[in-house]
Amino acid sequence: MYELSFEEVAKKYPDFPRTIMRKIDTALRGIIFTEKALERAKEEGAFYDASADFACLPTRQSEKSPLPVVAEPLPVVAEPLPVVGGVFFRDGTYVLGLESVTRGFHSPSATLVRSGEPYLLDLVNGKLWLLDGEPRPFRQNNMADAEKLSCYSLSTQRKRRGEPVEEVYFAPVPRYFGKKTSRGTPMIKMISSRAPNRISINISSGYCHFFKEKLPCKYCNVIPWSIEKGLPTLLNLEDLYETVNEALGEEGGFTSIHLTGGSDPRGNAPPLLRFAKQSGGDKPYENEVNEYIKVLKTLERCFGREKIPAVNRNGSLPVQAIASAFPKKQLIRLKEAGLTAYRSNLEVWDEKLFQRICPGKAKYFGRQYWIESILQAVEIFGRGNVSTQLVAGAELAKPYGFKTIDEAIASDLECAEFFARHGIYTTFCILWVDRGSVFYREKQELPPLEYFVRLAKGVNEIRRKYKLSSDFNDYRRDGFHPDMDLARLAP
Amino acid sequence: MFKLPKEVADLINDPESIKIVATTDEKGNPHCAVKDFFTLFEDGNLAFAEEFEGSQTNVNLVRAIWFDKNVELTVRGKDGTTFQIKGKPCKYVYIGELFKKFYLAAREKWGPDSELAGVWVITPQEVKNETYEVRKKEEDEKHPFFRHLDRASVRKTKSVFLGGKDEN
Repeated sequence: MYELSFEEVAKKYPDFPRTIMRKIDTALRGIIFTEKALERAKEEGAFYDASADFACLPTRQSEKSPLPVVAEPLPVVAEPLPVVGGVFFRDGTYVLGLESVTRGFHSPSATLVRSGEPYLLDLVNGKLWLLDGEPRPFRQNNMADAEKLSCYSLSTQRKRRGEPVEEVYFAPVPRYFGKKTSRGTPMIKMISSRAPNRISINISSGYCHFFKEKLPCKYCNVIPWSIEKGLPTLLNLEDLYETVNEALGEEGGFTSIHLTGGSDPRGNAPPLLRFAKQSGGDKPYENEVNEYIKVLKTLERCFGREKIPAVNRNGSLPVQAIASAFPKKQLIRLKEAGLTAYRSNLEVWDEKLFQRICPGKAKYFGRQYWIESILQAVEIFGRGNVSTQLVAGAELAKPYGFKTIDEAIASDLECAEFFARHGIYTTFCILWVDRGSVFYREKQELPPLEYFVRLAKGVNEIRRKYKLSSDFNDYRRDGFHPDMDLARLAP
Repeated sequence: MFKLPKEVADLINDPESIKIVATTDEKGNPHCAVKDFFTLFEDGNLAFAEEFEGSQTNVNLVRAIWFDKNVELTVRGKDGTTFQIKGKPCKYVYIGELFKKFYLAAREKWGPDSELAGVWVITPQEVKNETYEVRKKEEDEKHPFFRHLDRASVRKTKSVFLGGKDEN
């Protein structure tokens, strides 16, 4: 099927900002550095080698299992683990397509599947530019096999350097990089700051019950990443306290904190009849909530109780949890512990596809349960503080997904409209097909650029219609949602 | 690259001059705001602080950079010298050394609880002297018949009739 090229899409949608369209396109095609660009990153303090912090043994991927098989012990010769502070378009939009280096510590050898020839990041007349070497009409035929993106040298397979299309700039790495806690833990292992103004904390340190039961969401490979990364199995709260304190001290640095982690539907309390059959008698998700609360209490120490009212008029912390669907009682516990905002990712709206693509969520405890949890959260956290996310492209998975992008977009916008009526904002992320995920093994393809452009427009229009804000997930506190980039015109 | 004349640069660098940024929204409605902390770069670009992410100026500037629209900056000194600079937003930063410099300047001026959203960099494209005396001379030359007939430049004053000096 012929897919429109970038220029053709830009011509078809002249009211869609080219910069945001380029952001989507770089996410689809990826970006590789030239040596000159890398040198510039080093000169500007935008480059950090995290290999000493994450000295990892190479791993081998098993085709039959979603979990990687750790290879026989080898001499610890850590591969270089480059991490770049971030790359931005001129307008401050976060550039995607550099996941192998901007999230380097999540995936030492990231192998995201891309479509089409990658962009190049290079110096042109002393300035940093994205170059597009593919001006011809784009045709997605053979799905490019996962390719390790070298950040050190120009791809020797590239015959054409390409035309400069967008000037970009680096952001320096945060100050806490390279520092250790008093226990000797590298701070870069405790928190992440992929998004420019956000501190991200993984509360589960690499555990997801869905993965354990071999029911992972089919697009997800977070657990294989975490195992490769060598994350501690238990988040040390004192290490976290020191690290967050260090990060908060950076002037003009961070404005929000996100907590996230794998799902854990288990609990230790007496059974609720409704869930008894499925969960074996535990209170749903209590284990996971307990972990969030421990972290919230630690964060409270960072701000100081006397400062909390100044941080938020409700007396809560500037923290969002991107978490599983919790029952009302657990949501209240989180609110009382200081949580301000809550995002529970439904991922896929269509009922049948939800079952297939998110089998763990379907088992614990079904689509309707997840929807109800999100709806209840608005009563507790308030309008504008609750959101959900779709994985755009997952619903087109072959052979069981939607057959056309029109059907997929209609389904996604139905989701967005449904939640918007209840004061909940729906955003989306661009599908990643990455090694370690079921989608990777299934050799799923990425949807075309036009699909994401239409979806971003549609989702943003619904947001504007219902006058919803989602400040925790905007272009600088998240950076992964093209629809939230559009929201800059009506924050 | 268009370079601002020295007298314009001096006025921008004068901390006591007033700077107003004018932008338009999606319907063409104008919006003006006084801005602080201007910096002129060697490459001819100028930068100013944007205090609030949700401000109308900020929204309009995002639209301008996305769709290649112009914005205008008016700078006026204490003696009334005024320049109008038309330009295009070329960059917005909220992280890194440039932002930090402005952020700390804001802290120094407004206190430790102050806020700054980001820094806009504008590429000037043309400049016009809007100082009253300069403009009056221009208009008098261009449209001599727009002048009020009781102006001293048009009519002999009473003092001349009484034997005073003819100023014209």
